[in-house]
Amino acid sequence: MKKLMRMATPIVETVKLRKTYMLGKVPVEALQGVNLKVQRGDFLAILGPSGSGKSTLLNMIGALDKPTSGKVFIEGVDASTLSDNALADLRQEIGFVFQFFNLIPRLTARGNVELTMTIPGLGRDRRRKRAEELLETVGLSDRMNHKPAELSGGERQRVAIARALANNPKFLLMDEPTGNIDSKTAKEIVELVKKLNRDKGVTIIVVTHDQQIALQTRRTVQMIDGLIVEEKVN
Amino acid sequence: MKISDIFSFAFGAIRLRKLRAGLTTLGVVIGIAAIVALLSITQGLQTTISDQLQSGFATDTLIVSTQRGFGMSPGAIVAAESDFELLVNYTQIIDEIEDVDMSVAVIRKLGYIKSGEREFMLAIVGVDFAKYADVYSRTFVAEDGDISLSPENETVVVGKRVSDPWENGTAFTNVDNIVEITWTNASTLPPKNETYSGQVAAVLKEIGGFGFGGPSDTNIYIPITRAQSFFGTDECDTIIVQLENDDSATIESVSEAIEEAFGGQVNVISSTAVLDTVSTIFSTVELFLTGIAAISLLVAGIGIMNIMIVSLMERTREIGILKALGMKNRTVLSIFLSEAVIVGLMGAAVGVASGWVLANVVARVFTGGGFMSAGNQAAINAGMTITPVLTPTVILGAFAFGLLISVIFALYPAWRASRLRPVDALRYE
Repeated sequence: MKKLMRMATPIVETVKLRKTYMLGKVPVEALQGVNLKVQRGDFLAILGPSGSGKSTLLNMIGALDKPTSGKVFIEGVDASTLSDNALADLRQEIGFVFQFFNLIPRLTARGNVELTMTIPGLGRDRRRKRAEELLETVGLSDRMNHKPAELSGGERQRVAIARALANNPKFLLMDEPTGNIDSKTAKEIVELVKKLNRDKGVTIIVVTHDQQIALQTRRTVQMIDGLIVEEKVN
Repeated sequence: MKISDIFSFAFGAIRLRKLRAGLTTLGVVIGIAAIVALLSITQGLQTTISDQLQSGFATDTLIVSTQRGFGMSPGAIVAAESDFELLVNYTQIIDEIEDVDMSVAVIRKLGYIKSGEREFMLAIVGVDFAKYADVYSRTFVAEDGDISLSPENETVVVGKRVSDPWENGTAFTNVDNIVEITWTNASTLPPKNETYSGQVAAVLKEIGGFGFGGPSDTNIYIPITRAQSFFGTDECDTIIVQLENDDSATIESVSEAIEEAFGGQVNVISSTAVLDTVSTIFSTVELFLTGIAAISLLVAGIGIMNIMIVSLMERTREIGILKALGMKNRTVLSIFLSEAVIVGLMGAAVGVASGWVLANVVARVFTGGGFMSAGNQAAINAGMTITPVLTPTVILGAFAFGLLISVIFALYPAWRASRLRPVDALRYE
């Protein structure tokens, strides 16, 4: 019964989500009341032109930023009311993949993946083993000891994906994951992500311009001017 | 996040910026080294001086002087105008006091001794040889010749350094040599040189130290009666009082009795009082020097703060990443503070070591053989070695202080880093 309840609760839900930035002295309404539900196992693409608020939405869902008004529920918990510490704990359970990879330059591929696991305090042996497994999953078993500068864009993004998966996240958030890599590599990344969703049941929310990704997802939402204007199931 | 992981992450960040971290550490090193060097030299000096005072100043003797002579009492300056004279025969008054074994008057004037072509300036000391030898039975002892207990008028006893000023066996004067003794009587106008010829009867054993209040390697000794006629005075500089015992009660009561006997016109000093004064002076000096050195650490601290603020800006994005991965504010704070702890500890370790080396180098330069070969006045007056002392307290204190400064000045940058909002930090270019 309990399990059924959990299944029924959306993993992510936003209610009338608003965010207003101050750009200098000009207020910018990045989100103007976004309602979105994402179920467990979903693979959702958020599409929209620059400035439509899709990255802002992703930051809210990822507990990186707080909304001006409205609510963000992560597994039924209202993230907008949480303390800094509780938000940090929540972020440990969310996997982030960024457009610019955001790896720590001085650490090797394995070091970057391991770092994520030091935060919840995993022991050295266990995190090393898991880091190696994850890097193998993303096809980098022979590049583990290379630093980001020695890796190609595609390889870096694979490391970032391995890192995002390290702490068994509730879901994966990807911000333009293919925005900075060539189309061939992008295709491989898309395949990898799709496989993660299909085989391992990882819930994925991806913000993208890339039609190639959008076509592979189960569902797309289109955003314009801080509002969701269209939802489509592929 | 585990502490070991925090430190290892912080260490990685420091290793990435070796030169900068090295320069920051250097600031701490200099501050700590200065403190350690100054403190260990001062403590070494204090130990040397205390030891020499104790060896040259028996605990069961008191030194009586006029308030002009020894400026040790707080009243010294006020009483400077007093025309009280301490006379040689006042020993009779002192001898009457209970618990006093005996007393001996000392006349001391600066003069010259000439043997052959060479001449030295030194202290000419007139004493009753028999009594003086009794009071200083360990130090007023002949190495060569004999100290006659009822000396001839022309008898002279010289200290070891007077006989052998270069410490190489080349004698300046020896037993049976005739020496010319001169002093300048400045009370006549124009000042007049008085000279007489004496015969060296004995060379004292080497004493070492200052010979404070007692015999010294760099003095010559003549009979008290000869001194009185030679210097044309009955006034003495000090009277050494031998006590029956060295109980502090005896020291106190005799001191008071003597002061009373002369209407408070004299100073009575005991070895304990001198040692106390010396420690007080050294504590003050130590505090002062530490204060100066501490300023350099303060400067180092500001350097740390500066570097950390720069480092914080460079690493804003990294902080954003760490926070996006779920790192708590306090963990970010710990990482930055750990970097300061590492810098502080390394600085303190290197600082203590180099301070110790510095102290030894300085001590060697100041007490080395350099002065002896000159054959001048310094040769006679030297003879003191400083061995720097490094106590565990100084080491611990240096570490604690280095660490404290590093952490205090890192607090603000670290706090700022921890407060960064992840979304802003990630967007930072």
